[in-house]
Amino acid sequence: MATLFGIPLAALSGQLLLGLINGAFYAILSLGLALIFGMLNIINFAHGAQFMMGAFVAWLSLTYLGLGYWWALLLAPLVVGIVGIIIERTMLCRLYKLDHLYGLLFTFGISLLIEGFFRQLYGVSGMPYAVPEILTGGLDLGILYAPIYRLWVVAASVVVCIGVWLAVDKTRLGAYLRAATENPTLVRTFGINVPVLITLTYGIGVALAGFAGVLAAPIYSVNPLMGSNLIIVVFAVVVIGGMGSILGSVVTGFGLGILEGLTKVIYPEASSTVIFLVMAFVLLVKPAGLFGKETGGAAQADNGHARSERGNLKTLGIPLAVLLAVFAVAPFAVYPIFLMKALCFAMFACAFNLMIGYGGLLSFGHAAFFGMASYISAYTAKQWGFNPELSILAAALVSGGLGAAIGGLAIRRQGIYFSMITLALAQMVYFFCLQAPFTNGEDGIQSVPRGHLFGLIDLSSDMTMYYFVLAMFALVYLAIVRIVHSPFGRVLSAVKGNEPRAVSLGYEANRYKFMLFVFSATLAGVAGATKALALQLASLTDVFWSMSGEVVLMSLIGGLGTLLGPVVGAFFITGLQNYLAQFGAWVTIIQGLVFIICVLVFRRGIVGEIQGWSSDLMKRSGKLNAGASHGESKLSTPPA
Amino acid sequence: MSAGIVLQAKGLTKEFRGFKAVDDVDLSVERGSIHALIGPNGAGKTTCFNLLTRFLPLTRGSILFNGRDISALSAAHVARLGLVRSFQISSTFPQLSCIENVAIALQARGGNSFNFWSSERRLDGDLPRARELVDMVGLGAFADVAAGDLPYGRKRALEIATTLALEPEVMLLDEPMAGMAHGDIDQIVALIQKIRVGRTILMVEHNLHVVAELSDRITVLTRGQVLVEGSYQEISRHPAVIEAYMGGVDA
Ligand SMILES: Nc1ncnc2c1ncn2[C@@H]1O[C@H](COP(=O)(O)OP(=O)(O)O)[C@@H](O)[C@H]1O
Ligand SMILES: [Mg+2]
Repeated sequence: MATLFGIPLAALSGQLLLGLINGAFYAILSLGLALIFGMLNIINFAHGAQFMMGAFVAWLSLTYLGLGYWWALLLAPLVVGIVGIIIERTMLCRLYKLDHLYGLLFTFGISLLIEGFFRQLYGVSGMPYAVPEILTGGLDLGILYAPIYRLWVVAASVVVCIGVWLAVDKTRLGAYLRAATENPTLVRTFGINVPVLITLTYGIGVALAGFAGVLAAPIYSVNPLMGSNLIIVVFAVVVIGGMGSILGSVVTGFGLGILEGLTKVIYPEASSTVIFLVMAFVLLVKPAGLFGKETGGAAQADNGHARSERGNLKTLGIPLAVLLAVFAVAPFAVYPIFLMKALCFAMFACAFNLMIGYGGLLSFGHAAFFGMASYISAYTAKQWGFNPELSILAAALVSGGLGAAIGGLAIRRQGIYFSMITLALAQMVYFFCLQAPFTNGEDGIQSVPRGHLFGLIDLSSDMTMYYFVLAMFALVYLAIVRIVHSPFGRVLSAVKGNEPRAVSLGYEANRYKFMLFVFSATLAGVAGATKALALQLASLTDVFWSMSGEVVLMSLIGGLGTLLGPVVGAFFITGLQNYLAQFGAWVTIIQGLVFIICVLVFRRGIVGEIQGWSSDLMKRSGKLNAGASHGESKLSTPPA
Repeated sequence: MSAGIVLQAKGLTKEFRGFKAVDDVDLSVERGSIHALIGPNGAGKTTCFNLLTRFLPLTRGSILFNGRDISALSAAHVARLGLVRSFQISSTFPQLSCIENVAIALQARGGNSFNFWSSERRLDGDLPRARELVDMVGLGAFADVAAGDLPYGRKRALEIATTLALEPEVMLLDEPMAGMAHGDIDQIVALIQKIRVGRTILMVEHNLHVVAELSDRITVLTRGQVLVEGSYQEISRHPAVIEAYMGGVDA
């Protein structure tokens, strides 16, 4: 058999073809993302779900209407595009004036909604979809036997990518689009019908995803989850390529697909993480991405009036004391296991909120710290017999270290990119946990012993454990209050309020962000470690991206940038999950809806709204003092 | 270089995708002087400031501050060395009060900024000095008002107070009087006269009366290049300047 560097040539070329196919999907999807981003300045998180929707339209139209593959190729982009246009016209269009991060949060909600919807109807097992007759069979190309369908997928996507590129490069519509990608503010002042252009772009962008979904249907089984993992890889592709150039995204997509295929032959263990590794490398050497443009915007000033709660410590002490008093008696009324779980998530959400609320950094990868820490504490407690305090400490140190690695990379980019990078790097941690032997893969680490606190206090009873968890919660909460109200916290509020100005005063903004990231990761680790002991389980759920999404949701619904909000949000969502657990995918659907509603009409969250009302009341009764007027908390409001 | 030069740029060049916003500019700023950078909109003045303070990477050229090459340092590092800028668009910490805005700058000098374990009350020692600076720029009555709620002119004054808190050796002021009413302008001019003692000021300014009154030396920039440099008398006689810049202005 022919070999190349000791690798059988047939295997090599086979994997290369597979890589090319994956690359085709990366290319079409990142092309759509880049188009949408250029025009809307929004990262369309729902892109993966829309890809899956395309595949489902193909399957449904075959099953219920008897319409075959070729019809589906036409129908699916149309359906997905029209649904996209409806979403854009009715909801997305309300977000353009807000911080771009809201677009990410909103489309994340949409993706949960779509995914939950299909899961509820069709389960997760996946439906087969046959290759159309004339594309069956294969070609013997000498060194490999290539199924015709795969060759078709590669050819079709190359044609579509080139078609889109030509359309954008050579037509008048394309000229507007291009101008908008290069200089959005300028085109917005043109007076040409920009809203229509925006709607069309979104429609076409997601139609491309639908088209890719149909292409994918015969290769992968049609399955509600087929898009969600793919989209994270596509985010990494987009970070690597930079979104400055259409051809750039296409080339990057195909190139990375091939690289992934090669890795499958050479070192299969790394095949699922190689793209994330490339991303990390690119961030180190060329942070703007291979085809990215230099961002000259460092000198902008007055970037919106981001406000976060900075009440004085006296007013902060009261809610904490009340909170602790309520929690101290709560287990006599409520199931302590539920309370422990909710408290752990409350810690997690507080840690997450430290970053978004006080640093303006939206991490979509906090599950990595929570999950990794839960594995470490479970493992050290079970295998090495660590006392609980020691296993939590070990876990916190590990997740702090992980935070230093991930944070160090992610802070090299700002805004939406930061979120995508944290998501992608966290997915890498997930794959690590999936493959590393100490995590027990799908089973997780079960029956974790709670042990004896300081070797003295037996934590095996739920009541005792509950009070330990409560103490940990108080510790984390106080640590956050301390950080926020320290000299360091002052600088953070300056950096968040106006980064260029803070830099001009001599503050190395990135160092402060980095430290904040490490703190947040460490505290998220404390939460995860405590959770593993309390529930005696560490599993892949803790480290999966959906956990990152949940913690975002908890903080959002409770109130971003408020100290108490994440606690309220954590109890709300944990309660919701408990209540809806029996209804399967409804949890996902409802979470998606909550996301959407929060972003559209309820951005201050529960605690933020209450603070808003009470400060309005105080204003009206004339008792306003300067310190209390900053209760309003928003991720960011549009510049006046 | 001469001992009297505090800031010197050589061959300063910045290209934005092929377009030269700043093109081979040489600039020497004498210690203790007020040096004005003038020129029509789009001439590249703000870009020059961004380059000198390292807010933008240079395409070519070098910058010496007190004889030290700073062209590879970070923006924050340059600021800590004593080369501090203000921004063309008013730039404050909108959610913080005037006192707090100035206190943030005082804190930068205190070396306390990575302290996350003690209470911020540790910084209260800065408050008297912050109040003094706020009073000095005439904002005493607004000391506890959030900067975001100040009228425009007051924001500019607050910016100067914040910058002053760092006691910078060289201050770069980008159009400190743009968009101000006459009375306010006189105040800022008086303020600049007061704070120039013991430091160097490089400023971009459109109001030629102000430039004439304040500056010792003027550099005229057009299309990214130095047109002419000299005292106000010298440059105002220069035909190219009259044509290129002052034609439309009653100078
Ligand atoms: N970040 C940037 N990217 C692209 N072009 C820029 C950027 N900043 C400034 N320019 C361009 O450089 C030129 C000089 O701008 P600027 O320095 O702001 O002029 P001035 O301050 O003298 O009015 C202008 O044509 C402007 O459009
Ligand atoms: Mg300017």
